[in-house]
Amino acid sequence: MTRTLASALSGLVVLAGLAAPASAQFPPATAEQRAAGARVAEVRFGTEELVIPRGELVTVETGLYDAEGDPVEGAVAMIFAQAGVSPTFSTIDGPTIELTGMQPGSGTLMAIVMVPEDESGMFGVAGARPAGRLPVTVLDHPAESIEIDEPAYAAYTGTSMQMGGRVLTTQGGEHATAEISWRSSSPSVAMITGSGILTGVSAGSATLMAETENGVSAEYTVTVAENPVTAISMSPASTQTRRGDVIAFEISAHDASGNEVTDVALDLAVHGLEGTGAFVYDDGTFVAEETGAFRVLASSGTASAAAIVEVTERPAPTEVELLDHGARSEVATSDLWVFEGADGEDYAYTGTHAQGGGERMFVWKVTDPANIILMDSVVVDARVVNDVKVSEDATWAIITREGASTRRNGIVVLDLADPAHPTIMAELTDSLTGGIHNVWIMGDVVYAVNDGTSAMNIIDMSDPANPTHAGRFEIRPGETDKSLHDVWAQDGYAYLSYWDDGLVIVDVGAGTHGGSPTEPVFVSSISYPQGNTHVAWRHNDYVFVGDEIGTADGMRGYIHVIDVADIDNPTEVAKYELPEAGAHNVWVEDDVLYIAYYQGGLRIVDVSGTLRGDLYRQGRELGFFRTEAAEGQGLAANSANAWGPQPFKGNLFVSDMTSGLWVVRHARPRPVTF
Amino acid sequence: MRSDTRHRALFVGVALGAFVVGAHATAAQTHPTYWAYVANESSDIVSLVRFDGEEVVEEKAIGVGFHPADLDGAHGIAVSPTGEHWYVSIAHGRPYGQIWKMATGTDRLVDTTTVGLFPATMSTTPDGASLFVVNFNLHGDHVPSSVSAVFTPFMAEVEQIETCVMPHGSRMSHDGQRHYSTCMMSDQLVETDVVGMKVARRMVLTGGHEHVMSERGASPGEEHDMAGMAVGDGDICKPTWVLPSPDDTRLYVPCNGRGDVLEIDRQTMEVLRRMPTGAGPYNADITPDGGTLVVTLKGNQAVAIFDLETGEEIRVETTEPVTHGVAVTPDGRYAFVSNESVGATRGTVDVIDIGARRVVASTPLHYQPGGLAVWKMEGGR
Repeated sequence: MTRTLASALSGLVVLAGLAAPASAQFPPATAEQRAAGARVAEVRFGTEELVIPRGELVTVETGLYDAEGDPVEGAVAMIFAQAGVSPTFSTIDGPTIELTGMQPGSGTLMAIVMVPEDESGMFGVAGARPAGRLPVTVLDHPAESIEIDEPAYAAYTGTSMQMGGRVLTTQGGEHATAEISWRSSSPSVAMITGSGILTGVSAGSATLMAETENGVSAEYTVTVAENPVTAISMSPASTQTRRGDVIAFEISAHDASGNEVTDVALDLAVHGLEGTGAFVYDDGTFVAEETGAFRVLASSGTASAAAIVEVTERPAPTEVELLDHGARSEVATSDLWVFEGADGEDYAYTGTHAQGGGERMFVWKVTDPANIILMDSVVVDARVVNDVKVSEDATWAIITREGASTRRNGIVVLDLADPAHPTIMAELTDSLTGGIHNVWIMGDVVYAVNDGTSAMNIIDMSDPANPTHAGRFEIRPGETDKSLHDVWAQDGYAYLSYWDDGLVIVDVGAGTHGGSPTEPVFVSSISYPQGNTHVAWRHNDYVFVGDEIGTADGMRGYIHVIDVADIDNPTEVAKYELPEAGAHNVWVEDDVLYIAYYQGGLRIVDVSGTLRGDLYRQGRELGFFRTEAAEGQGLAANSANAWGPQPFKGNLFVSDMTSGLWVVRHARPRPVTF
Repeated sequence: MRSDTRHRALFVGVALGAFVVGAHATAAQTHPTYWAYVANESSDIVSLVRFDGEEVVEEKAIGVGFHPADLDGAHGIAVSPTGEHWYVSIAHGRPYGQIWKMATGTDRLVDTTTVGLFPATMSTTPDGASLFVVNFNLHGDHVPSSVSAVFTPFMAEVEQIETCVMPHGSRMSHDGQRHYSTCMMSDQLVETDVVGMKVARRMVLTGGHEHVMSERGASPGEEHDMAGMAVGDGDICKPTWVLPSPDDTRLYVPCNGRGDVLEIDRQTMEVLRRMPTGAGPYNADITPDGGTLVVTLKGNQAVAIFDLETGEEIRVETTEPVTHGVAVTPDGRYAFVSNESVGATRGTVDVIDIGARRVVASTPLHYQPGGLAVWKMEGGR
């Protein structure tokens, strides 16, 4: 409903010289104007709800009223628009204001009146008071057409499939809010739900109509044929498996002549004969989270086939034995790297984080994993040494810096001629000043996560004493809103964890997409709604991608399992989620996934075979170790905060932010693959 | 440059909580009590400190930041004119930084907004409605950055005003009409029209080449481009701060790279005086009477106190190196000074008696205390 408030407009002050849009400041007002503002009880608008088409200018009437409903003269007021409306600020300097719809969505216009400066009623800002609000909706450009997707299967009687499509605006883009509603001209031939699930009923043709509520429509002629399928074969007919082990059923449909029908949509279902918690996917794979007996059913029309799966228990997690604990109780510990040094001894290097002052890398001799010895430390100008990596020939190492007092962070190169007492050989800070969060070494090249730049910097280490810039990769050069967190490379591909943009895969010499170690080429990417993509590690056809999500209840986030068998089309197929904790760094070796899971300590997970579904609920955990220190053995007692894992020579090394370096041995390091 | 009307309150509630760390001593009967907030950048903690004329203590350590594991980088502090709120810039971001609006007293989060890359120092308009934040963007290559204008009632970033490379220092004229910032790597002083939210004037600060740039930026013969690096054979100033005098007639600019402070006529933008300092003058504040300028010397572990009438400088050594921020109390008697220190050594806040030219109190804080602001002065007679 629209009301006219012209009678009130004589009360407004025209602010000469203050052209709209006004600034983020309040408009100037005299003491008299502020006194008048104090009498304003309400700023009214000429409508109760404002609806603006995108790109159009509308005029809204305004007026100031006191508590009795009488117009107030001589007051000063302004409008602040939070929604996609321009201008953001406009002084009410006449009987109307003009607003343009910019972005589709809903919000509120706030009216603010200047009042005496000793009043501070508005969010702590003196001399201003909210005095009215107007709901506003900006509509997208008008819907003009609907684009209907070609269905994935042929329409046969007794089969169902999902229809899809998009509403396009007059400007050609997809409409922000319009939804498609479906109906059929001949439900006796082709029945369709409002959301687009199509079911063939009888042979014949029908017109499917896709419509928006505003009358934009499109048609699709569907021809329903008699379902030719007379038999479905499914193999194996019966089988046994364990919780979490995937069965890939061979399912095919055939007509009366025995010919395979490949364009029919099959219905797949699983029925618990004994127990619940099993799933069958569109590609015919089956996996169960619980033990029991299950019937898997494939059907099309009147034809069907079934298979029986008996699901047995996986082996229970086995003991993880503590070998030694290198406690750090004065400073938080960050990442680690374990290696055999040039002197034939084994070493672990650990970084340090902010709590306690992260200016060191500690050197541990771990040749005897049951008796690790703190040998030395390297001190740099930093407050976080987040990452430590050692070259493949163990002659040099990189440590990263953040929080340098000079604000020139970058990387520090260590000479490992004496790995028990590494020395600083070089540093590179140019263009890396804001900080380096993580690095990965691949031969003579270092990939460095350059804080705040969206970029992975590539550093030539062919002469470790003189590191030089060799290249740079950004997911979308020039777009500054990307945040890279980690990088890992293997077999010619680098796997980049972009915080809100997911896993990004680049060719750094794989020979598939034209990339080289210093000139990466984008291959593909996959993201997910919750973002916080933190780390990635490839093993076989899977990339294990970890979230790192901070919440008021502590760290959260899990491991996404991405199938990259087709490197151009990565697909999320499974996850491992410990409900009460948050994932951090990972390592995979011999089909075992090691996760430093913050509050959850070290988790050891069987990732052998095909992976589908929720690996945690499937009981794939092989063991765990809570990296909880005794009193005085860490920054806090009994408080696991696992940061990074690394298997090395049959033992497991884990750095824990709260308590330092742990060495453990898992009684069953290799899973048995059935 | 973005100029959208984002009102980002997508804060993931991970404030680490506030906890009392100091005993509340009884204030001296005849001496005011001063309160200030100090941002500890490498601890993600803001300290509330209190000075009663004898000792300075940390009354509260307030956890800030959105990520419990990584450093989010609390850097700049500003207090609203009414004293009801304080603002802290969360500099590191993902990748953009944030401004948090906090309630004084309870020190609880009120609202947040996202701004540009590495928001550093900030200041409000006199009415408190706007907060101007410099986006320091020290990351990677040197590219022009911006000043964000934030409408504080709703914590909405309403404009990013592109200025130059590594803007630092953010101070408002007392009439609220002009905002001043400097750009370290462009060697510029930037005057911004607060009402129009656009750059009004730029002044080149390079020694021997000081001049107001033409409206359209570089013109033939000029040795600077609009937003690029300083060039030429002059002495690079590398400014890190700018401060209007209380009467708005002067601007004071510490030249961090050259080791002096420029006194500039605000109207004509002519250099009136050069006051040599020690190494790395960084931040500055001035007494309310306009008579004394206090400049932190980041490279000297000291502050320089200038008598602005005579130009005399007195050097006062601070308690830890990398002396960073300074805020003069409302009565002009004292200056709170933050000292970052280095690596795993905790920084400190010192209180300097400006008249006596000496440190009269100090207390250790957390890692890398930097930005600070006086909240209030209570009592005293």
